[in-house]
Amino acid sequence: VNTETEKDYYAVLGISQSATEEEIRHAYRALARRYHPDSRTESAPTTLFHAVQAAYAVLSDPQQRRAYDRRRAEAGLDQQAALNWEIHLSQNQLCSLHEEQVLYLLTEIKPALTAEGERLPLNLCLVIDRSTSMQGARLNNVKAAAHQIIDELRDDDTLAVVTFHDRAEVILPSRSGIDRARAKAQVSTIWASGGTEILQGMQTGLEEIERRHSKSVTSHMILLTDGQTYGDDKECIALARQAGARSIGITAMGIGEDWNDVLLDQVAAQSGGVSAYIASPGQVRSILQQRVRGLGTVFAQSLKLSPRCTEGVWIESAFRISPYLDRLKAEGGAINLGALQADAPVAAVLEVGVAKRPPGEHRLMQIELTADIQSQGHSEKSRRDVSISFTPEETAPEAIQPNILSALTKITVYRMQERAWDTLEQGDVEKASQQLEMIATRLFDLGESRLARAAMLEAGRIAKGGTPTEKGRKELKYGTRSLTIASRRKSHD
Amino acid sequence: MIECPSCGRKHRPGTLFCSECGVYLPTGGPLRTEPLPDEELPVSRANPWVSEQVDEDKATPTPLYLRILETDRQIRLPSSAEVHVGRLDAAHGIFPDLDLTTDGGLEGGVSRRHCKIHQRGATYLVEDVGSANGTFLNGQRLTPYLPHVLKDKDELQLGTVKMQVVLQEE
Repeated sequence: VNTETEKDYYAVLGISQSATEEEIRHAYRALARRYHPDSRTESAPTTLFHAVQAAYAVLSDPQQRRAYDRRRAEAGLDQQAALNWEIHLSQNQLCSLHEEQVLYLLTEIKPALTAEGERLPLNLCLVIDRSTSMQGARLNNVKAAAHQIIDELRDDDTLAVVTFHDRAEVILPSRSGIDRARAKAQVSTIWASGGTEILQGMQTGLEEIERRHSKSVTSHMILLTDGQTYGDDKECIALARQAGARSIGITAMGIGEDWNDVLLDQVAAQSGGVSAYIASPGQVRSILQQRVRGLGTVFAQSLKLSPRCTEGVWIESAFRISPYLDRLKAEGGAINLGALQADAPVAAVLEVGVAKRPPGEHRLMQIELTADIQSQGHSEKSRRDVSISFTPEETAPEAIQPNILSALTKITVYRMQERAWDTLEQGDVEKASQQLEMIATRLFDLGESRLARAAMLEAGRIAKGGTPTEKGRKELKYGTRSLTIASRRKSHD
Repeated sequence: MIECPSCGRKHRPGTLFCSECGVYLPTGGPLRTEPLPDEELPVSRANPWVSEQVDEDKATPTPLYLRILETDRQIRLPSSAEVHVGRLDAAHGIFPDLDLTTDGGLEGGVSRRHCKIHQRGATYLVEDVGSANGTFLNGQRLTPYLPHVLKDKDELQLGTVKMQVVLQEE
């Protein structure tokens, strides 16, 4: 088989082997436009255009495509990717300007349809704060939620329950085969007293998880707290990072207003998990239930994106926008995107700065995606080149894709509230209050009147010389994270 | 550099949203509906206290069409309990069921969220949702958030965009 001269036509068009005729046509048109000799400048080789044409000639003809697929199969090239990975740019081309410009890159990762796997057993540990402040409705709701989880777990799942106050105790050790009645009885005995030392709880919880941890289970810790921990923040974050490195995710949930959101956000981010704000005890059950159900559908873990920029290209900021919004940080060149649930694609937006460039086709970066595919017990790695052509003349502005627009709408509001709190921290009260008012305006625009009112209230409070309430601050932070930009279907005539 | 039309902050070309005030930069600010001069709009107000007969019994409602006078476009109202009428603004997540952008909506003073038409039994009711330039029924301005019954051959006006209500059995 002559694979030397035969290119990977699917890769040339940037589509998967299961692409429909429509998708093939669409990909071809976009690339042909970009590489066409008439629309191009000298520096891009015409070979690119020929490669695209050759790929399309084969793939658009069902008979030739079948023959080509057979040759691929013989050459062992038809390994189905488990992930469906897409990259979209906010612009198809840039004008060659004499200054820096900005470009947005949206990346979406979904399980490839053909790779649907069996649900892996869950290896779950609930780590529950039982400090004095949890007494009453909070602890009662947490217990009720735990009972519900126990009922819903499958027989091959394992569950451990750890409580902590000044020290940690294992209420229910991790054991295979859940004795539901016993587990519930154990949970019911939890009572509140003492302080809040999160590190103790995390350590004990992770020990329980480690007993059953393997590549063939989804290991996860759910931490529930309502208070501040003192002096052990750094250790908590370090522990979360270690857990993340071992593919153990942490969901950190704060109940009420007094917990340390900065700490819980970091614990979640370091482990590739989620942090959540539970405003009232009545929400504990539904939020926890939803989380555990989501964990059951984890398809891949440790999704990491490593962009390698070419010279004169840099990443200004990175945000995950799905399944929930969060600022992403690169560590050692890799951006941790966490876990991929089968029912919720992972999507992120990179804000890319580009220095001035001469006209022509330029490669901006190469991005590598790695992920541990749960059901297949192996990790998958793929690479993509991101290129764009610079035109000498300014062209008419292109329509921005709605998914990039809606992503940036959310990110903008989230960043505005980040800025407002930063401004306040720096002591510029007047400006912070103005910024909060602007957020309120934006939120009203988006039809989020409840959040908008919260922003107005805090703005007013600050303007009058007061301090913002913790409730308002958390409501805005977590509320702007989970904005659902309404995209009701548009119907005509 | 490009300048935000709303707050004046400078951004690098390609930036889509102002980081200061959140405005969508390519369209030069939010697609705001400018208030029209009073002389372009009818002045009388509809009496909010008129109680109208609502026929709740009839099972299958007559389809409602809106004929836009300017463009002569006839639109069948989507058959859902509530139809939002306005102008599409994707950047702000406003997707009305009935988009009047192509019917001179912006120049005509149609708000992005202008009014809604809901169905109760066989009756259609129109309700202004706090639009900038108002919703008018047969020349009378509707009090915002107060639903009014629509009848065949009624003249409905959003800002200055006029349309006729067509309610006829097929």
